[in-house]
Order: sequence, then structure tokens, then C-alpha cells
Amino acid sequence: MSVVSTTRPAVTHPGHRARQLGLWLAVALIVVWSVFPFLWQSNASLQPDRNLVRSAPKWLPLPGTLEHYRNVFTIKHFQDYIFNSIIVAVSSTLVALVLAALCAYALARLPVPGKTVVLGIVLGISMFPQIAIVTPLYLVLRRFLLLDTYQGLAGVYVGLAIPLMVWVMWGHFRAIPKEIDEAAKIDGAGPVRALRSVIIPMALPGVVTAGLLGFIASWNEFMLALSFTTTPDHQTIPVGIANFTALYYVPWGDVAAASVVVTVPLVVIVLIFQRRIVAGLTAGAVKE
Amino acid sequence: MASRDTPNPLSRRRFLQLGGAALGAAAAAPVLAACGSSSSSSSGKTELTFASAKFFGKSNIGQIVDQYNSSQTKIHVTYRELPPPSSSTEVHQQLVQSLGRGDGSIDVFTQDVIWIAEFAGAGWALPLDQYVNASEKSQYFPGLIEACTYNGKLTALPWFVDSGMLYYRKDLLDAAGLQVPTTWDQLVTAAQGLQSSNKVKYGFLWQGKQAEVLVCDLVEFVGSAGGRILGTDGKSVQLGDQQAVQATQFMYDTMNKLNISPKDLLSWDEEPSRRPFTAGQAAFLRNWSYVYNIAQDKTESQVVDKVGVAPLPAFSGGKSTACLGGYQYGVSASSKHKDAAVEFVKWLSNPDTQLKFATDVGLAPTRPAVFDRPELAKANPFMVKLKDVFTGGTPRPVTPKYPQVSLALQSGVSKALTSGDVQGSLNSTKSAIERAVS
Amino acid sequence: MATPTNRDGLRVAQPVPAPRAEVVPRPAPRAARSRERMRLVAGAFGLMAPALLTLLAVSLYPVLRSLWLSFRDTTLALQTDSFTGLKNYRLLWSDEQFWNAWRQTVGFTVASTLLETLIGLGIALVLAASFRGRGLVRAAVLIPWAIPTVVTSRMFGWLFDGQNGVVNYLLVRLHLVSHNVNFLGSTNLALPTIVLADVWKTAPFMALLILAGLQTIPHSYTEAGRVDGASAWRIFWSIKLPMLMPSLLIAALLRALDAFRIFDLPYVLTGGGPADSTETLSTLAYKRLFSGLEIGYGSALSTAMFISEGLIAIGFALFIFRRLRALEG
Repeated sequence: MSVVSTTRPAVTHPGHRARQLGLWLAVALIVVWSVFPFLWQSNASLQPDRNLVRSAPKWLPLPGTLEHYRNVFTIKHFQDYIFNSIIVAVSSTLVALVLAALCAYALARLPVPGKTVVLGIVLGISMFPQIAIVTPLYLVLRRFLLLDTYQGLAGVYVGLAIPLMVWVMWGHFRAIPKEIDEAAKIDGAGPVRALRSVIIPMALPGVVTAGLLGFIASWNEFMLALSFTTTPDHQTIPVGIANFTALYYVPWGDVAAASVVVTVPLVVIVLIFQRRIVAGLTAGAVKE
Repeated sequence: MASRDTPNPLSRRRFLQLGGAALGAAAAAPVLAACGSSSSSSSGKTELTFASAKFFGKSNIGQIVDQYNSSQTKIHVTYRELPPPSSSTEVHQQLVQSLGRGDGSIDVFTQDVIWIAEFAGAGWALPLDQYVNASEKSQYFPGLIEACTYNGKLTALPWFVDSGMLYYRKDLLDAAGLQVPTTWDQLVTAAQGLQSSNKVKYGFLWQGKQAEVLVCDLVEFVGSAGGRILGTDGKSVQLGDQQAVQATQFMYDTMNKLNISPKDLLSWDEEPSRRPFTAGQAAFLRNWSYVYNIAQDKTESQVVDKVGVAPLPAFSGGKSTACLGGYQYGVSASSKHKDAAVEFVKWLSNPDTQLKFATDVGLAPTRPAVFDRPELAKANPFMVKLKDVFTGGTPRPVTPKYPQVSLALQSGVSKALTSGDVQGSLNSTKSAIERAVS
Repeated sequence: MATPTNRDGLRVAQPVPAPRAEVVPRPAPRAARSRERMRLVAGAFGLMAPALLTLLAVSLYPVLRSLWLSFRDTTLALQTDSFTGLKNYRLLWSDEQFWNAWRQTVGFTVASTLLETLIGLGIALVLAASFRGRGLVRAAVLIPWAIPTVVTSRMFGWLFDGQNGVVNYLLVRLHLVSHNVNFLGSTNLALPTIVLADVWKTAPFMALLILAGLQTIPHSYTEAGRVDGASAWRIFWSIKLPMLMPSLLIAALLRALDAFRIFDLPYVLTGGGPADSTETLSTLAYKRLFSGLEIGYGSALSTAMFISEGLIAIGFALFIFRRLRALEG
């Protein structure tokens, strides 16, 4: 919905101005909505905890303190948890993307008998309450000596990410006209090659979306990580943050600092990838 | 779609199958074995595995275990760290999974005081009566020994203790010429007075969230009225009796009739209730011992040096009651090295180690004698004052079905506190508990 | 259907008008075609196998085990179990706490999915427009979703605190309410507050899914509409929305299934209270399974959740498929 367009000649009719204003208002609202919790966290991370419980909130962290960031890295060794989370989330997302893309492609393009059933099962099996899968998986991982390892946790995350990814990518693959496949076949590409060179670039929004959501889900997952990892060598960020609290006391400034440290890279990643979404569209089609 | 140019999909399928199998194999390849084994090593030392919830302070449990290992040559202990008590449900689950297998993978463990009866009833904890005689038992707080005993058998050895206590603003009480309240009526009067003179926003803060802490608060109120929740036989439920009703009615009234507590308490547990107090907004607070150090921390609190601690008040005719908390040691009934395990547990529970836990990790001792040690007075003078509070400690209902009892209490009492129908809610809770313990 | 074009308005390559010999001359054309089809089907299963196998390995065993346990009376203490048939389900059926949680879970799911889909759609539409700084705004939108869940739950606890929370502060200052609102400690407001917190956190997730769907709508369609002089609203309603429906419905379905299993927010914020007013099926299952060790009952509860979700999913999926088929004409 291009209300503000750079290619059209400047047309000023009364509705246009109003719509422009409306758009900017909507953007402002959205930005406030999204950024407010993060700003509040950043604020909390730069102030002594004493300032957090006042009748009137202290909007600006002055005078500020860096003690929380110091605590997070020197006392809590948060960098260990960040490292672990990166390994687990990146590896599980990549593996899941590949597996899910192949599966979604087959479902979207190839004559699979009982397609609806397969899709239904893929979705259905992911609907089981997480509470109920913790103990059985714990027993399985223990039997295969995969407790407190990267592979164990990442493997479980792959299994949990696949349903969402398959559905999202399936939806996007379907939307691509079959003629694209034909054209690729004329050029001599097999199904997998067609998938890689033609379909995925065209469905890039779907693929990147699936990847982003899978990544964030792995990044934030708590219950399974808590049950399956036991040492800072393998524990991920959510477990690390939960372990800031021994018995009751929640060091809120430290927690806020940790969450800021964790959120900023994610936002940067999204910033990088969202450009790719737009770029993918113009580059993907087969021109003639 | 058919095309003569499509390369043979069978070969592709085989490739993918191999790839999938490779992935599967890579995922299943065992790497480092999980730590801890219960067998004698070739060096002749007895190997023990000690699983404990994670605590930390100036030092942590791992370091204390290392000290034990280097202090003697007969036993080597491997420390297996469980989540911290803030994730107590996960600690419970992991202990249950390991102990339930009965394979001796854990020799010594730590258990929250409310799990002792459950583990004992399940036969997972080794009875220690043959290793601990009566005079040794008398060196601990009696309330704690009671909590460590199930069906007449001692199945846990005390480690550290915590309990609820009354925090008060001594500066405000002094200025108003008020004494530290010993009855609830005195507390109400003081709180209302300070509220109406605008010295504080809230009179009295406690925890009403539908969680375990509500049961702790309940035990204290009911005990201070002279009542009980569960009889000493572990089967008769006294929750519908007059004392329990009086106590619960009081809890309801603080928020509705006496107006000394905000209704927001119903979603507050330890921290949300602690924060307004250390921000100087409340006159009285019921909470655990951890609050004191925070109250004295300049970066955290607005009431440094203004806070006093006392045992909780009681109703007339009742006795001040503090709900016991804390983790205790247990020896696994399926341990393959019971004697060594008991020896290690006794070392953990001896006065010197308890002192170390107190000064370095901030966990209060379960031996009254340790409170008199000069090192403790130097490192943590506040803890010394708690001796009297802990002496009056009362356990929560002792029954192997405690988890179900607790859930029933949480739900029922929360209903009483929101609806105001105290007798009715307690009666239906009583039926639920009777069903659970029958 | 018009000649398909890509975003540059160029025609996508058409097959060369050469002899369309789709079947290689073989002795028996029909047998060859079915052999070819079998090869494709085999290939398809080959492509799907790794994903499906991983899925089954991670999810199928727990599901089956839970089902198995729900028909038995297992006590970890004695390491015994005995077959009890439908006893656990009968207990479940007559348990008012279960139905209370069920009702609240359904209510939460409907409310949050609806709100998140609508708000997500709105956000996605705005993000699809071109304006300066769009990239930054798109990245910013994901922030609530990106903050670790262990932190968000507690953070909302702070923000919605009945006495010292920022939300109350703003509401009172802006004269929208006369005194502080007890968001989480009152039986009427606790669940709606949790819905609000969930919407705040999850609308970006929906926005992202819907935005991706918006991006795949060919520009040519909207251009055609504009050329025909249709208003922006008409373009949206008659052109974009129908094309967006599949993505929208899939996103809503995925979100509804997730919302049904909501756990962190109610457990951390209110513990299921006050007075069970925010108890969801997941929090109830957690308490019964983990704290109470009622394995048979807890497994029956999980299975009941699974069945409820299955019914929702089937209903939703049928609806989606019918719409898709209608779209394709």
C-alpha cells in the first residue's frame, strides 16, 4: 500500500495529506509499542536497583551506573551463556531450515499421496504440551548420553522448529506459479537444484521469516534447556538469566542488563536480514 | 510433471537418505559421558556423587566439596549441580527421576524440607537412625528434626534453615513511641496509625500469590492462632477448625476491613512484596531472612539502618510461629556406598562446615551452638539474631502427599482471600486434602 | 489468468512453444507414466524423510508415552503401574479445576489470537508501505518478541504492578483512571491483563508472518487495481485481503495452537491465581505432573489438551483448505 511514493508525480489532493499523516501516526504508535519495553529495560539496566521502586519512575538513568553490565560479564560470566546460545540456536535453525525446505518443497510441488494427512500430522505432532514432553525426552537424552551437550539440545530444537518452518515455507512455495518450475526444468535443473536456485530466492521472504522465527524460538526456549543442560559449558541464555536468582532475590538491574545484551544482537540480525527480504524479491524472478 | 531431462530421482533419494542417516548418526553419537559414577575407582578411593541445588555466595558448594576431597584420602566426591532453588520444581523433578530409578547414581543429595516426607514415603531416602544417636540429634533445632523425621524415622540430616520473620521500620516505631508488636492487634494498631499519619503507604505486607509461599504464610498465621492444618497423625485435617478460620479471616481482613494491606498482595510473592518495603513505603513486612542484607545495601534500599527484625506476632492465646524452610541432606537408599555417604553427610552437617556455609554462602546453620561462634558474629552479625526466630520454627504439613496438599491449599486459600467466604472455602479445601491424604 | 509477471512487470518466461512431448516415447506410455510418477513420489518421500524422521523422533515418542501413561496408574515411588483404563479420564471429566482451566484457556486463545491477528495485520500493512526508515522500524517491531521469555514475564509483572507499575503510573497521570488498578491481583482483571501482555509480546510475530505473505502478492495486481481507479480501501479489501488470506489463516492457526499452550506468563505473573482465575491447561498440567507427580492424571490432562488442540487445528485447517481451493477456482 504505497501511500508515500517516490516515483509518482507530486499529487496533492486532500486525502493524500491526511493519509500521509495517518501513516506517520501509525508508525509512531508502532515504534512506541515495540520499543517501550526495551527502553524501560535499558533504563533499568543503567540505574541502581534502588531507583526502580519509586512512586514516580525515573525516566532518565542519571546518574547512571555500569555496575550491572560489570556484574553480568565478570561475576555471572554471561559470555559463556551467549556463546552456547549462539551455537545451539544457529546450528538448530540451519539444520531445521534445510530439512523443512526439502519437506515443504516436496509437499508443495511433488505428487505426494495423502498430502493433507502429512501436513496435518506435521502440525498435529507439534501441538503436544511442552510440559508433557520434557520428561520423556529427558529420559531419551539420558539414555543416549546426550544430556548437557550441544547436540542433544540442538537436536531437540530442530524437531520442534520443523513444523512451523514447513508450514510457513509450504505456504510460500505454493504461491509461486508452477511455470517457474517448468522454466527451470527447461534449463535442465532437477528438483533440488530448482529449489535452491529458483524457488527459494523467490520465496525468500518465507524462508527468512521461518529462519528468524525458528532462531528466536531456540534463543528464548527455557524449560527444555533448563532440564537438559546442567553446566555453564552448555547452558543457554534463558537458563543463565534464570540462574541469576538463587533463592528469592531477583537482581533486576543485572537481569535488565543481560536482556539488553541479548536483545541488541537479535535486532541487528533482523536489521540485516530484512534488507535481504526486499532484495530477494527483485533478484529472484526469471527474466525474459 | 514428467520430463525426460529430470535426473534419476532415485539416486537423489539415496543421497538424501544417506545424508539424513548421517545427520541422525551425528546427533546420536555419544560424547562425554554424564558426570558422576558410583563405583570404586582404581585409586582405591570410594567415589560418591553428591547432587545439590545450586547455591552461591562468596564461595559455592563445589568449592566446599573440593575442600572435603582434599581434606582426606578415603572418599572422593563428585558434585553434580542441579538448578537453583528458584527453579525448585525442576530440582524436584530431576531428583525424582534419578532417585526413582534406584540405580545408585546419586549417593548424597539435598532436598527441600517439604520433600522429605515425600522421598521418605517413597523409600528413596535412607533412614539415618542407626548412624545418628539421640545426643547428636539434640544438637539441632528441634523443629527441624521434626521436619526431618517421617514415620518415626530420621530420613534427613539438617543443612541450613530459613523461616518467615517480621521486618519493621524501627525508625518509625521509635518516632511514634511504639513497641515492636507481639500480637496481631498491636501490629494492626501500629500499622493503621503510621498509615493515617502518612508515614507509610502500606501498613503490613505479606505474600498472597497463589503459590507455595501462600502456604508458608498460612502456616504462620494459623500456628499463631494455636491451630494446625494437618494433625500430628498426618491424616486428620484441622483446616476447618476455629483457629484456622480465625487466621484466614485475619488475612482477608488486612486487605478488606482493616485496610493495612493492598489487595495487590494477591499476586505478590517474595520479591514484589519486598520491594516496596526496602523502598520505604511500608511499615511491616513478613518475609524470609534474605531481605535483611538487601535492606542494608545502599544500591538497593532506601531504608538502610532503619530496619529491625523480630519473631512474627501471635493472636492472644496463640504462639508466634515461623514457617520453616531450607534444604536438608539425604542419603539415597539405593546408594552402593552407604557408609561412606553417611560419613560425608555428617561432615557436611558438622559445626565447622555449617559455619563455613554461614559465612561464605550465607546459609543459616541448623545447630544453635554455631550461632554463638565469634566468626559468625564477625561475618554476619544479623544472622546471630535469628537464633530465637528459628527456635520457634514450625514445619509445613508433614505428609508424603504434601505436593497435592499444597496445591489444594494454594487454590482454596486464594479463593477464601478473594471471595471472603472463609469458612466455606476452607471447608471445601479440607475435603480436597482429606481425599489427597487418605 | 493473465500472463504472470514479476515485480518489474516483466513476463516470467513461458515454456518455449516446442513440441510438448511430456512423455518419452516408450513401449507402454501408461505404465511409463505411472513408473515416472512412482519415481517422483519416491523422490518426494526422500525429500520429506529427514524432516519427518526428526519430527517423529522428538515428538512422537513423548506423545505415545503420555498416551500410554494416561491409561495407567503409575507411582514412581513404588516403580509400579497398573492398567486402569479410563479412570484418569473419568477423574478429569468430573474435575471442576480442569474445566475451569479449559474454559480459561479457550477464552485466552480466542481473545489473544483475534487481537494479535488484527493488530499484526495492521502493523504488517504499515510496514509494507514505503517510508523512510522502514528497515529500522521493521527491526524494531521484533523487539518485544526477541526479549527472552524468562525476562518478559517478569518485566510485565513490573510494568503491570498494582502499586508501582509504569502502566498504572501513566493511566493515573493521563487521568484515564482515578486510582491504581489492581491488574494482577483481582480475579476479573488478571486474565485480561495476561491477554494484554501476550498481545504486546506476540503481535510482532504475527506481523512478521503476515508481512512475508504481503510481500509475495505481485505488484501487478495492486497496480491494476490502482489503474482502474480503485480507492486504497477497495484495493485492500478486494485484492490484497483475498490473496493474503492463506498467509493470514496459517499465521492465525499457528498462533492459536501456541496460545492454547500458554504457560510462562500466567505461571510467573500469577501462579494460576488469584483463586484459579488465570489457571490454564499448561499451568495445571505443570503443577500436577511436576509438583504433584500425578503421572496418570497429568498424562490424561496432556492428552485432553492434545485432543482439544487437534480439534481446533482440524477445524481451522479444513477451513483454510476450503478457502484455498475456492481461491484457486
